[in-house]
Amino acid sequence: MRTGHFNETHSQLVALSTSRTVWGWTIAAITVVAAAPLLVGNYSLTILVSVMIAIVGAVGLNMLTGTTGLVSLGQAGFLAVGAYTNAILLSDYGWSVWFSLPMSGVVAAAISVLVGVPSLRLKGLYLAITTLAFSFIINHIILYAEDLTHGPNGVFVKGATMFGFNVQKGAPLFYMTLAVTILIVFGVLNLSRTRIGRAWMAIRDHDIAARVMGVDLVRYKLLAFAISSFIVGIAGGLMSLQLRFVNIDVFALILSIEALAIIILGGLGSIAGAILGAIFLTLLPEGLRLFFSLFANSESTFYTNYVFEIRGIAYGVVIVLFLRFKPDGLIGAWRDARKYWSNWPLAY
Amino acid sequence: MDFLLLLISTGLVTGAAYGLVAMGFAIIYKSTGVVNFAQGEIVMLVAYIGFSVANTFHLSFFPLLIVMIPISMLLGLALERIFIRPMLGEPIFAIVMVTVGLAVILRGVTIMIWGSEPYNFDAGISTTVVKVGGIPFYPAQLYLIAALAVVTLLAWLFLRFTRMGISMRAVAANETAALLVGVSVSRIHAMAWMLSSAIAAVAGLLIAANFKLAPDLWFQGLKSFPAVILGGLDSVVGAALGGIIIGLIENLSQGYIGQGMREISGFIVIIVVLMVRPYGLFGNREIERI
Repeated sequence: MRTGHFNETHSQLVALSTSRTVWGWTIAAITVVAAAPLLVGNYSLTILVSVMIAIVGAVGLNMLTGTTGLVSLGQAGFLAVGAYTNAILLSDYGWSVWFSLPMSGVVAAAISVLVGVPSLRLKGLYLAITTLAFSFIINHIILYAEDLTHGPNGVFVKGATMFGFNVQKGAPLFYMTLAVTILIVFGVLNLSRTRIGRAWMAIRDHDIAARVMGVDLVRYKLLAFAISSFIVGIAGGLMSLQLRFVNIDVFALILSIEALAIIILGGLGSIAGAILGAIFLTLLPEGLRLFFSLFANSESTFYTNYVFEIRGIAYGVVIVLFLRFKPDGLIGAWRDARKYWSNWPLAY
Repeated sequence: MDFLLLLISTGLVTGAAYGLVAMGFAIIYKSTGVVNFAQGEIVMLVAYIGFSVANTFHLSFFPLLIVMIPISMLLGLALERIFIRPMLGEPIFAIVMVTVGLAVILRGVTIMIWGSEPYNFDAGISTTVVKVGGIPFYPAQLYLIAALAVVTLLAWLFLRFTRMGISMRAVAANETAALLVGVSVSRIHAMAWMLSSAIAAVAGLLIAANFKLAPDLWFQGLKSFPAVILGGLDSVVGAALGGIIIGLIENLSQGYIGQGMREISGFIVIIVVLMVRPYGLFGNREIERI
C-alpha cells in the first residue's frame, strides 16, 4: 500500500512538483499537443487554439477570483480591451505583433488598476456587481470612441507576422498560442508559490486576518487585479488574432459567465482546474454539435436554429449541476479518484 | 422647460420599472443573503407567460394580473425547490452562481419557446394619452408608477406588521437565531422567492406593456442593479426609491450630457456610491470580527 506524502522542508512544500512522474507526463502531454498540426485537420486546430485561449483567460480569472477571492463578472470587458488594443495597434498603427500582443496585456492591466482602486473596499457580491458595471462602461466607451475603435463597425485585424509567418491562422497561430499558453501557465504556477501568491491566498481566506499579519491589502489586491487582467488582456489579444475581426458584440455578458463557469467547474483556486475547466467547456459546444448531428435532419436544424440558446442552457446546466454535486470541480473529482486508486481496497 | 418635464416624466416611468425589479432583488437578498441574478429572467419569463395567457383567454389587464400573480408565485416556488433548496447551507457564492446559471437557462428556454422576435403586448391597457399636470402620459406608464407605489406600500406593511414579514426580518438579521426561536428558515426562503416572483409578475406585465415584449427584457434585471445598490441590497423600500432616482439620473444625463449615457449612467452611479458607502445608501453596515 502507498503511504501518504509528507513534506519535510519548505522547498518541498513550494516545489512545482516533487514527482518526476508528473514532470514526465507534463512533457509528454506538451509534446503530443505540439505535434497536433501534423496529426489533425484545420478545423480541429482551430478548436485547439480556442481551447488554449480559454486556458489563458481562465488562468487569469482564476488568479483574481480563485486565488485572491475577488469575484469578477467583468472578464468580458478586459478581453475586449485586450482584443481591441491588439487589433488597433496591428491594423491602424502597423505595430509588430511582438509588441502589440504584450501591449494588449499592459493596457488591460492599466485599466484594471483604474477598476481596482474604487473596488478596494468592496468584496463579495458588491465587487461582482461593480466589475459587471465596469465591463458595461468599457464596452460603452469602445462603442462610442469611434475615432479610435471604429465604433460599431469593428476592426479588421491584419498584418500579424512572426518570423515571416502569418500568425492569424493554421499552424503558426497554433504554435504561437501554445508558446504563450505554456509561458503563462508556468509563470502563474511560479507566481502562486512566491510571497505574492501566499499573500493572495491569505486575503482570500480572511482579508482582515491577512491585514493583521502584515499583508498590505491595497497593494496585493491591486497587484491581483493588474496581473490577472494582464493575462486576460493577452487572451483577448489572441482572440482578436484568431477571429481576425473584433466587434463589440463578441464581448457580451455571456463571455464573463462562461469564464466563471470554467473556473467553477474546473475547481476554484486551482490552476490545473482552470485548465481542465477550459478544455471541458470549450469542447462542450462541439460535443453538443456532435450529439445533435447523430440524429435525423430535424434535430440538426433545431440545433443550428437555436445554437446560442442551447449553448447557453448547457453552460447554465453545467454550472448548476457542478455546484450542486461537485463543488470542488473537475480537479476535486480527479483528486478523489486518485485517492480512491491509491487507498484501494481501503476507504481511507 | 418642456424638455426637462419630459425627461422627468420618462425618468419616473423607467425608474418605476427599475424599482419594481429592484424590489424583487431586495426581498430575496433580505431574507436569504443571495443576490438573485435570475430576477430579470423571471420578469421576462412571467411577461411571456402573461402574453400567452392574455392571447389565449383575451383578458384585460386586471384579470390578467390576478391570474398571473399565483402562476408566477408557483413558478418562484418551483425554481426555489429545484435550484435553491438543495443548496441550503452551501456558501453564498455557490448559491449566487446557481442563480447565474439559472438565469442563462431561463433565457435560453424563453427564446426557444417564444422565439427571438419582439411582440407588441398591450396587456389590455388603453393607449389614449392622458394629461397629468400638462405632461402627456400613456395609461400604461401611469399604471407602472402606480404599481410601484402600491407594491412598495404593501411590502412595507407586510414586513412591518405581519407575522410572516417579521419572521422574514428575523431570518435576515440572524438565520441561526431565528431557527432557534422556531422560525422555519426554509419556509421563509421559499416565501421570499414566491413574493419576489409575484412582484416580478407585476413588473413583467407592465414593463412589456410599456416598452416591448422582446428577449432582451432580461436585461432589465441587470439594469436594475444600480437601483438595488443605491437603496442598499437589504432595504426593500430603499430599492423602490433607488429605482426612481436611477431612472431620473439616466434620463437627465441622456438629455443633458450625451448620447448613450442612458445605458451607463446607472452603472457609473453604482461605482461612485460604492466608493463612498460600500454597503449602499440604506443598507446595513456589516460588522466583521475575526
